[in-house]
Amino acid sequence: MTRAVVATGLGAVGPWGVGVEALAGCLAQGATRPVVVDRSAGYHAPGGARTALTASGLDLSALVPPASARRMSPPARFAVAALRLALADAGLANADHERTGIVVGTAFGPAFVTEQLLIQLLRQGPEAASPAAFTESVASASAAQMAMAVGARGPNLAITQRETSDLAALAEGARLVATGAAERVLVAAVDEMIPLLHAVLDRFRALARPGADGAEVARPFDRRRDGFLAAEGAAVVVLEAEPDALGRGARPLARLAGVVRGFDASAPAWDWGTGSGPLAATLARGLRRAGVAPGSIDLVVSGASGARRGDRLEAGVLTTLFGQRLPAVVAPKGTVGEPGGAHLAAALLAASGRAIGPTRGFEEPDPELGLRPSVAEKLPAPRRTLVSALASGGAATWVVLDAPEPSPARAV
Amino acid sequence: MSGEPVAVTGLGAVSGFGWGVEELWRGVLSGASAIRDFHRFDHTGYRTHVASEVPDGPALDPEAGGPRLTLADRFALVAAAEALAGARLPERLEGAAAGLFFGSSTGGMFESEQFFAQLVGRPRRAPISLLSAQQPCGPGDAVARAHGVTGPVETIASACASATLALGAALDALRSGEIELALAGGSDSLCRLTFGGFNALRAVDERPCRPFRRERAGMSIGEGAAVLVLESRARAERRGAPVLAWLAGVGASCDAHHMTSPDPQGEGISRAVAAALADAGLAPAAIDFVNLHGTGTPANDSAEARMLARIFGARAPALPATSTKGCVGHFLGAAGAVEALVTVLCLEHGLVHPTPGEGTLDPGLGVDLVVGAPRALPAARRALSTNLAFGGANAACVLLHPEAA
Repeated sequence: MTRAVVATGLGAVGPWGVGVEALAGCLAQGATRPVVVDRSAGYHAPGGARTALTASGLDLSALVPPASARRMSPPARFAVAALRLALADAGLANADHERTGIVVGTAFGPAFVTEQLLIQLLRQGPEAASPAAFTESVASASAAQMAMAVGARGPNLAITQRETSDLAALAEGARLVATGAAERVLVAAVDEMIPLLHAVLDRFRALARPGADGAEVARPFDRRRDGFLAAEGAAVVVLEAEPDALGRGARPLARLAGVVRGFDASAPAWDWGTGSGPLAATLARGLRRAGVAPGSIDLVVSGASGARRGDRLEAGVLTTLFGQRLPAVVAPKGTVGEPGGAHLAAALLAASGRAIGPTRGFEEPDPELGLRPSVAEKLPAPRRTLVSALASGGAATWVVLDAPEPSPARAV
Repeated sequence: MSGEPVAVTGLGAVSGFGWGVEELWRGVLSGASAIRDFHRFDHTGYRTHVASEVPDGPALDPEAGGPRLTLADRFALVAAAEALAGARLPERLEGAAAGLFFGSSTGGMFESEQFFAQLVGRPRRAPISLLSAQQPCGPGDAVARAHGVTGPVETIASACASATLALGAALDALRSGEIELALAGGSDSLCRLTFGGFNALRAVDERPCRPFRRERAGMSIGEGAAVLVLESRARAERRGAPVLAWLAGVGASCDAHHMTSPDPQGEGISRAVAAALADAGLAPAAIDFVNLHGTGTPANDSAEARMLARIFGARAPALPATSTKGCVGHFLGAAGAVEALVTVLCLEHGLVHPTPGEGTLDPGLGVDLVVGAPRALPAARRALSTNLAFGGANAACVLLHPEAA
């Protein structure tokens, strides 16, 4: 048995501020403030990326009271704050969560407490290790904190699948609602960016490097792209069965019309592969199963981030699937970076008819890619949006989001 | 609200008893424990000096399979290859509608620790190759890559419930028709982070763990991997596959109670068990034995005993139960996989393995723990396996004898 699934609430916190309106403003205006990353620990190689989009200065106390915040790792605080915002947005701030599930997607997990614990264990000895740091270091700690914050007693899980963690979590959340295993699911995409992680990503040459003017710019699909912008934050999406949502008078942001998952076995563990053909075939097959004709898609919110090989793979999949009839492609990671949930939040915004701005950083087409992303300030509201996220290491998830029905009185 | 069962057609395992399912099965039946002194890293200064360590084997040769593979990758690769061969499937799965669902708690953390130790000393020399598969998704991705999986590939990192939750995700993907075949399992290696973390929580026993004993004083950490090949009934029948068991249902819940302690009344795990039974379309009376999470911590074993009383009522004290953790330690993110796999073997052989551990059974728990020698249950057709994790995440699965579906 399966039930149609809709998204009825969205909350987000990140470098751009607190709340979805702040994110929408940032996407529209491109106003981001990269922060110079602290290199004092000596983790960084000389040269390389200097900045990240961090959210450490946010005041979340209205959403996460200090008495509970002190027990949480930074990503758990982001996730619980976004959770409060999402529930309010869905009109569920005071709902009972006995049968509410939680699915968290996180690329790197609670990095700061993990680093603390490693310093304690490896440099100071086992007696120095903090038990609280250990319990907060597990990848699922944010999922547990979210559950405790609202009393969500349904299925609770965390997925780590690198750059596709966010959409993988959305897919599993949709599965739990569709099967009835949960009444509703709160899907979170959450990560934090710390100097250690920034240094490691830079050593892998994953991050955008300073240009001639010193600025580090993520350039999705651009000929000169050389990496992504490291970011942090959280987004939470409320998923419900469509009849439940309509029954309580909720106004869905979007309807999940399909989920497709695939894997590119040509990818090495630390990078993207070259299997755009097989991935496109998997995507085409999955869309067919979902009853989604590629021609009915009028917007792609692409996970392209400015990664050299990642964007090439993404372009290959999209051009193979759509051929000459490529819809508008927007890559919000050019503005908001990754990870940290902003891609997922931007996709929901776009699918619900909000403008998410142009693909920032893109200026020069890459002749190898055969794809130019949209640089329009505003596109027509889509009826059907394809959201993509291809992960280094090989995993891929695509989600199809339909615009909400104009009238809620829709026959089921 | 029940769904179709899916066939278990292949098994693979790497454990403290050795590299293979046969080694694991002989080990758990022996009544001996694989928890002992270990050498993976220096454990001077910790509360305990025992763990269940995978013995040396050809797959640990740095040149085998490529130098960038982590320990957890290697365990997973060997287990997956064994499972596919046992299922009489080809090594490459490009032509199948195949997916992979894994559980892992720390992935390549053991290797990351070596990187980090060098980074804080001589940062310029720390080789980033140690980090190439650091995240929990490393082992699952490595298996998917090695076997040409083209469908969903997903690693769940929900601590000790990860692999059972992965079985649930695989079950639903098979039932929905998204895939016809899944590699489901998990892999974790010993690492200082986990060992030191449980040490700091004072949750480890100095002695090999003693599940459900009065003297129990904590868990023992283990390592290894387990992989189950799952297939839709249609696919298994179409190709005449060997059906070893059926995965009939998975259920999950959250205590929303505390980061480390389970709900003392066992209410959370009871809801996961009830959901798994409902998913399998079974009443509690249908269950013939239980493979409990059974970590050997006072709180876990007590919460599970309460669960048994809640779910099975008057029958609880006579329901045969075992804990595989007494044999091979706690596989953490892979625990649910190795325990489901052992449960399949118990059903197949009509034998419930004993739970090693010193001391006497805790009479306050009222659990009919199998101890000393295997217990013959030739008529057993349906079994339950449970897992409880940090943060109150609970999961349970129901497995059936080949003739029971």
